[in-house]
Amino acid sequence: MSHRGYTIADTCFLIDWSKYRYRDILFKIFRTVFVPEEVLREIKSEDTITWISRELARDNLSLYTVSRFEIDEARRLIEISREKPHLPSIDLPEAICLVIGRTRGYVVLTENRGALYIPRSVDEYRDVVVWRSLELLVNAVLYSILKVDCGSPDTIFKEYMRDTLHLFPRKAHEEAVERVRRYCLERRF
Amino acid sequence: MSGEEVLKELIEEEIEAREIRRRMANWEFINRQPPRIREALVFYIEKGDIRLAARLAGLDLEDFRELLRKANIPVIV
Amino acid sequence: MPREYVVIEYIGSEEEAREIRRRMANWEFINKQPPRLREALIYYIEKGDLYVASRIAGLTIEEFNELRKKAGIPNVS
Repeated sequence: MSHRGYTIADTCFLIDWSKYRYRDILFKIFRTVFVPEEVLREIKSEDTITWISRELARDNLSLYTVSRFEIDEARRLIEISREKPHLPSIDLPEAICLVIGRTRGYVVLTENRGALYIPRSVDEYRDVVVWRSLELLVNAVLYSILKVDCGSPDTIFKEYMRDTLHLFPRKAHEEAVERVRRYCLERRF
Repeated sequence: MSGEEVLKELIEEEIEAREIRRRMANWEFINRQPPRIREALVFYIEKGDIRLAARLAGLDLEDFRELLRKANIPVIV
Repeated sequence: MPREYVVIEYIGSEEEAREIRRRMANWEFINKQPPRLREALIYYIEKGDLYVASRIAGLTIEEFNELRKKAGIPNVS
């Protein structure tokens, strides 16, 4: 079982995820991972561009050409987010991914904190599903794509953190470990 | 989630993240950097805004991300 | 013409085109290119998609088309 829907990934997500030892599980979870051209433009390192380009060739990744309408909507979203002073800023690539998430129903993959809070802060976007690597790892376990050592459920998160030097906020991390622990218990019965 | 609850959660997370970035950072490495880079790293430690920090450093996003790794400054999201 | 016959011929052509591009490419030239251009040329050899290849390279379609020619990769249609 897997999600097997579509997802749209932004730069901050890709440049960290590409460093993860099990980065290819991404393609087992989703049918296709779309990458906006604006995001591809920001990718510079040899390792990341090689990975992306090979996966484009395998049709695991697909380039998303953003429409004029989507860009305008993204700029409108940025303006709306600026009206909420408590929200961390979002930039155009993240805003584009959120708009596509709303109009096409794709899961949005991002590591931008502002983008994570948009569904909770902007009514129009309340149904958009936004995942960071934390949610992706949890779902990979729940879909039985990533094997977990039930004796040490935190290991999968530690591996990611070690590979990328990307940490998770304490509460969110604890919640994720707890979710994996529950999955392990459920599997036993 | 109400606006107040979102704000409370955001503030708590930001405080926690800033503390971790300050604690883990390799200050010896940071202080050896040219002024523009050094200030961008310090800005990132305090504010956690990677795109703005990268622009301050005059680097593209990926290069700045690599620099964070070299400086042992984690991204915390 | 029966629909089934047309589909089979199409799949054969894609494979054949890829083989031709692989065989005729100047791999010495390709491997000497900076990473983005190299990967874009490899992508083009595999998929024959000029537009996406040009996006990977960060070039206009015309610029990438010139690069493709320098790399000896034919446009097979």
